[in-house]
Amino acid sequence: MPGMNSGLDLSDPAVVAAFKAALVHQGLIALLIFVFVGLSWVSIRAWLNASPAAAGGETVASAPAAAEPTWRQLLRIGFGLLWVFDGILQAQPKMAIGLPSQVIEPTAASSPPWVQHVVNWAGTSWSYHPMQAGASAVWIQVGIGVWLLAAARGPLSRLAGLASVGWGLVVWVFGESFGGIFAPGLTWMFGAPGAAAIYVVAGALVALPERAWHSRRLGQLTTAGTGLFLLGMAVLQAWPGRGFWQGTVHGQPGTLAGMTQTMAQTPQPGFLTAWVNAFTAFDQAHGFAVNLFVVIALTVTAAAFLSGRPRLIRPVLAGFTVLCLADWVLVEDLGFLGGLGTDPNSMIPLILLAAASYLALARAPAAAAQPATVPAAAAGWRARLQTAIAPRRLATANISSVAAVGAIGVIILGAAPMAAAQASPVADTILAQAIDGPSAPLDGPAPAFTLTDQHGRDVTLASLRGKVVLLTFLDPVCTSDCPLEAQEFRQAGQQLGADSRRVELVAIVANPVDYQLGYTQAFDQQERLDGVPNWLFLTGDPAVLAKVWAAYGVTAQIEAAGSMIGHSENAYVIDSHGRLRQEMNFDPGPGTTATQSSFAAELSDAARQLLSQS
Amino acid sequence: MSALRRRRTAAVAVILPAVLFAAGCGGTPATPPPATQAAPPAPSLNTSLDTTAGTWAAVVMGGSAAQENAFWQLFIRPARSARWRLVTPPGTADNGGLVLADGSGPALVTGFRPSQDLTFTPLIQTSNGGQAWSSLDPLDAALASTPDALAVNPASGQLLALLAGGTVQAAAPGGTTWHTLASPQALAATPAGQHCGLTALTAAAYTPAGITVLAGTCARPGTAGIFTAGNATWQAAGPALPAALASQPVTVARLTRTAQGITALLIAGTGPGTSLLAAWSADGSHWTVSPPLALHGATLTSASFGPGGTTAIITTAKHGQSITPGGSSWEPLPALPSGTATLAPGADGTTDALAVHSGTLTVWQHAAGATTWTTIQVINVPIPYGSSS
Repeated sequence: MPGMNSGLDLSDPAVVAAFKAALVHQGLIALLIFVFVGLSWVSIRAWLNASPAAAGGETVASAPAAAEPTWRQLLRIGFGLLWVFDGILQAQPKMAIGLPSQVIEPTAASSPPWVQHVVNWAGTSWSYHPMQAGASAVWIQVGIGVWLLAAARGPLSRLAGLASVGWGLVVWVFGESFGGIFAPGLTWMFGAPGAAAIYVVAGALVALPERAWHSRRLGQLTTAGTGLFLLGMAVLQAWPGRGFWQGTVHGQPGTLAGMTQTMAQTPQPGFLTAWVNAFTAFDQAHGFAVNLFVVIALTVTAAAFLSGRPRLIRPVLAGFTVLCLADWVLVEDLGFLGGLGTDPNSMIPLILLAAASYLALARAPAAAAQPATVPAAAAGWRARLQTAIAPRRLATANISSVAAVGAIGVIILGAAPMAAAQASPVADTILAQAIDGPSAPLDGPAPAFTLTDQHGRDVTLASLRGKVVLLTFLDPVCTSDCPLEAQEFRQAGQQLGADSRRVELVAIVANPVDYQLGYTQAFDQQERLDGVPNWLFLTGDPAVLAKVWAAYGVTAQIEAAGSMIGHSENAYVIDSHGRLRQEMNFDPGPGTTATQSSFAAELSDAARQLLSQS
Repeated sequence: MSALRRRRTAAVAVILPAVLFAAGCGGTPATPPPATQAAPPAPSLNTSLDTTAGTWAAVVMGGSAAQENAFWQLFIRPARSARWRLVTPPGTADNGGLVLADGSGPALVTGFRPSQDLTFTPLIQTSNGGQAWSSLDPLDAALASTPDALAVNPASGQLLALLAGGTVQAAAPGGTTWHTLASPQALAATPAGQHCGLTALTAAAYTPAGITVLAGTCARPGTAGIFTAGNATWQAAGPALPAALASQPVTVARLTRTAQGITALLIAGTGPGTSLLAAWSADGSHWTVSPPLALHGATLTSASFGPGGTTAIITTAKHGQSITPGGSSWEPLPALPSGTATLAPGADGTTDALAVHSGTLTVWQHAAGATTWTTIQVINVPIPYGSSS
């Protein structure tokens, strides 16, 4: 998929260091957010307690708060911990560069083209701003997790559920390619319909109003929903022709064994590899029996949940939990080991959801006690929010509410830079620096030249005085790097906008064989540079060119038979007074849209810097 | 549970698995439409060409094409020499292939088919057997992937190029001011094209007298699609084929100028009944046609033209055959050496087989009447692995 793969080494030291620095920097800010919120809370409490109203003994009528239902507590805390864990996984050093190519792209590979198109948009966006995107994912997920853990009751808690729904949908669509539901080979055993989809459901349940928590009907609906889902998965698992009934097909592993065989090859502790391999061998030998067992287990569990009878569900739930744990270890391979795991896959969330469904049914309160904020329950959301943020409310807020507010701050901390970065179509220059290292500052007269442009006109360096010159050396018949470099120059001009009138984009031919005007013109046409007003592709006789190459320290050599010309890949920044100010290594690396944009940004930044000084 | 609720649950229980099944099975590919009758594939660019300077051979060497490690190399066996020499033109990556055209006098014009991000065709010329090369103006489009995509008018030096899209362009000597000469659609609309039912153009050539000749695939059975330019339109100039082939579709696989005229290679029929015919003409209008060579289900991989129009071919069955102009039958060659990319007929009835193994070219020779091949030369070529990737 175009644009998804930055092509950089996932362990590139420059990128890893930048990602770590971004995380540490934002981590400190997150800490400050918590300190600020905490100090504000303490100060407001102290101020309000000292105020006349408080001294006058104003009282707030409050009914005893009804306890949070166990099932909701399980969902809130369970998924809060999962979000925190996922956030920690997002902080892996390789994640910033690797997520599009190692996670998103493989997941989308078997999905239909329209899914790949949607997912590619997100992957490309990530590739343009890997630092911001990587750090954002960490803080957003940690923030949602802490928020869920901290906010047990009230509007803040429900909002945490909604935040979980929102971000869960983002992860499900873009990170999991809609959980793979549009790809062939969909199976519950491998995580269908996507872990994030379960996060979304759990978040939606947490976001329900308090009156719904105390309704037995909610328990009935959740168990029925879980039952229907499992029934659907059982039908899918049993459907013939999908390769799950065979352990081997024509000597090759069947669908399930093939999947686990692949999983066993990922880096992980030896004992896990042994377990997964053992299961693979068992499935290859007894594929039909394994699938029959899974289909029966899912069907029985579905039937129990659909019955709505707690006594029936309880033992089945225990068995289902064991089955999920076995699948988690032997089939999903714990979900996050090897490669770049972003979550522990679907089985743990599914266990939490199934257990919560059961608890919602089995432990529904007989009669709903009125919640603590009596008027709020009857009022609209606006009134409740106003009540929630009223000074008096702040004074009586507990530490959990303060932590929840701090968590919201952390989410904003993560989301804001990403949103700002997304507004810019220009990629982070860290990509270019990771490929070629930082540019070298220079300060000396740029070697003069007199050459011929693509229109046959003589051009000297002196004639370009008053403009910043971005200069490079290109082979017009080069098949790989030079077209990319030309596009980087073209993009740099576009990024400069109105400033481009004060910048000249100049390339000098780096080919002693194909140097004629016909080649510079054909190259310009090929690269759509023939309409760029400040673009010059200069050439001359080989002897003249050789002198210019030598003056700039550029080599252009005829290589072995069949090869293109071997030439230096440098770019130079010349100020408006004709002085060389920077030399950049200009190997374009993988040439993705993101890296091209990044190199262009490096060039345009350098030009802008000189323009601002002139 | 009320009856209404039970009914709702039952309905959802039926619908949900159906939806999930539909989603899970959504990736099953639809049955493809039935394939139409396709023209036979063009022979590869592995070929040899006899000129006054000697015999030129272009072969692909190195490694994986997918990894841009397949590099085309040009060799010459100079006139009156038995030794081959590496003369690949410099300065341009040639992973896309080399297309050779006999120029004026001893000149050879070579086109570099573009690869990767290059979209135009660099052209280069030598007049001294590849010792020195000079660039011609490039062609602002990609040459077709066929050995006869480029031709030089021996009289005027004008150039003819068959493009990847099927259009034919012509240029003044030196490759300047290219203009469209013909398109498959325009040629198909002429009376000659309509008679042939032209579906594609496959080759472009000049006769020794400088007459432009184009060739292609005819939908009309038994018709060889060869056309000459004249009187502001195109005229049918293909040879009459044996009556036995009257019901067979015919494709002109090769059309090349040789010292004595032009030589064509025709593929008649499809599938197991495919046969091959060589045809020779001095002026593009009167032809001598060889007997058909049954391919027995194999396809043509390489075709070469030697002195006097001697034609040598290799098929996917790894069999080699040759025939001289006016010859009464195709002569089978002994089992080809491993790695044989192309054959090069010699003036004395010998045939050289150019066998490639990575960066090593081994030249095997078969003397007329002999039953074996003999190694006569080994050339180690410095392949620039990785330079294009």
